[in-house]
Amino acid sequence: MTFISLLVKELRVCMRRERTMWVVIGYVLLMGLVGWFFISRSTLSLSYAGNGLSDTGVVLYTLLVQGQLFLMVFITPALTAATMNGEKEQQTYDMLLCSRLSSFSLVAAKLVAGLLNALLLIAAAIPLFSLVFFFGGISSIQFLRGMLVFIVTALTIGSFGLFCSTIFHRPGISLSVTYMVSMIWVFLPLISLSILNSTSDANSPSLLASSTLPGWLQFSGLVTSGAGQGSLVPQTQIMLMWNPIVALFNTYGSGLALAPYVIRNISFAPWLAYLLLCLLASVIFFLLSMFMAKPNPWGRLPLPRRKQPIPAPATV
Amino acid sequence: MQSTQTDTIIQIGHISKRYRSVVALDDISLEIPRGAIYGLIGPNGAGKTTLLRILAALIAPSSGHVWFEGKDVSHVPSLIQRKIGYMPDIFGIYPDITTEEYLQFYAGIHGISGRQRAHIVSDLLELVDLTAYRKTLVETLSRGMQQRLCLARALVHDPDLILLDEPAAGLDPRTRVELRELIHTLHTMGKTVVISSHVLLELAEMCTNIAVIQGGRLVLSGDIETLSQHFQTNRQIAMRLLEPDKILVTLELLRSLPDILSADVAEDEMIYTEFSGDDQALHHLLRTLIAHELPIISFAPRSIGGRLEEAFLRLTEGNSQP
Repeated sequence: MTFISLLVKELRVCMRRERTMWVVIGYVLLMGLVGWFFISRSTLSLSYAGNGLSDTGVVLYTLLVQGQLFLMVFITPALTAATMNGEKEQQTYDMLLCSRLSSFSLVAAKLVAGLLNALLLIAAAIPLFSLVFFFGGISSIQFLRGMLVFIVTALTIGSFGLFCSTIFHRPGISLSVTYMVSMIWVFLPLISLSILNSTSDANSPSLLASSTLPGWLQFSGLVTSGAGQGSLVPQTQIMLMWNPIVALFNTYGSGLALAPYVIRNISFAPWLAYLLLCLLASVIFFLLSMFMAKPNPWGRLPLPRRKQPIPAPATV
Repeated sequence: MQSTQTDTIIQIGHISKRYRSVVALDDISLEIPRGAIYGLIGPNGAGKTTLLRILAALIAPSSGHVWFEGKDVSHVPSLIQRKIGYMPDIFGIYPDITTEEYLQFYAGIHGISGRQRAHIVSDLLELVDLTAYRKTLVETLSRGMQQRLCLARALVHDPDLILLDEPAAGLDPRTRVELRELIHTLHTMGKTVVISSHVLLELAEMCTNIAVIQGGRLVLSGDIETLSQHFQTNRQIAMRLLEPDKILVTLELLRSLPDILSADVAEDEMIYTEFSGDDQALHHLLRTLIAHELPIISFAPRSIGGRLEEAFLRLTEGNSQP
């Protein structure tokens, strides 16, 4: 009940802010512009023969998921990275602590509220993805997989932002750290791999992909153009296992084709491995936030007491 | 330390709080009787807020213990927090929610079910006289209304003990009176109220007990009547005689009497006497003067300053013990 009350309040306060409306409008407009720009350019060269239409659909989908991912990386930290220290800054934290709110309810309500806002953005952009189905090339299952990657990515960024908001006193600092880490998480593996690839033997392919992949990814040297399957050197695959861009492109067949991860004869598709890793990271950040959120977390957990309470002396 | 009531809700045993090299509280021991309005008085930075935050189980003392109804606060902080209502000195409000939604939210996080919530919120809004503002956004309320709303918030779960940190700070005189009346209402409802302030008069008018804190140390504590008697200050008696040539004789007589600290004559031939006795002694003094057939045409005793306020100022000048 305490969880629901806090969640309702968080959503109420958030939804009544003018900023929320403008973020959703701006988000949908930006995504719409991406789609409109692509379609207006590609209709002239659109081929209705063979795989022409479905290839166009895949390229449009790739473009939209990229745009959505970048926007989410920019927006999600703002939804959670200033929640706990923001309460402290506006002098409402003590009043929350003097209530029946458990550490779990407090952190969970804050995280779910942030996540629901991120989901609102994802949901608002779903109609734009319907353009992809007009061209074809992406199945519903592949689309749902992609949405799952978005949700889990938002969860991971959100829980990390929440953790930062419990350890840093100033919202500005926790926001900056969350942005910085999110950027490093998303872009650093790709940049470092591109540097590695540019210095390694050009004949040893690291990733194999279809020509529908974004140009910048192909240009970086991470992937080789052309059809067919290829293999990754193990270190590279492990490095990319927790990268959202790679996971996202791996959700659809004509994206990145990577070998599955095999752990004790159980094979995980790379995007599935990414989901599991992110969920694990989210749980860790959530537990750490829970621990840091209340001034005396051990006192609220059913753990054995370190010392016996001292009885009160007799009153006069 | 004095305790006239045996039913104690809070016991504080030798608590100290240090922030690195700064000692915020130093070996404080207190007993707060159930049903009392207990005033914590001290200048700014004396440690009142720190003490209240320890009582609210928001921070732990560096040493010592606090017992709430006989239970060690440090071992059951969540249990304690369910039984206390805390109103901090500086409190925030959430923007974009109404007065009713504000109280409903706090009722919700205190575990009050939806059915009871509406009823409790209506009662509280009536208690703090904000029923007409139930649909008003909290941020648009005046400072005094926000203060009353925050007090209602502290009462939302019907706590036994209410901790109010400088509740009257920044309020106009009219709102202060309203707040005082509200605290009296809570007292009549059987609530124990601990209230901090750096203005003694504010507390002296409403508290049943007072503790004076200075530099993190407890200087004085007890019930207000005992303290008032203990710190009864001197009186100045202004006298005028019909015959000015009797002034010297009168001064000699006065100086020879007990409880007379000083006797002097002013340029306008008014005799000023500082008297330290009680009302009975004052009556005796008047009879003595009449018995000596002094031509007194005016006899006007008056207290020198407020009683407790004088005492408080004296006490908080240094760290002197009473």
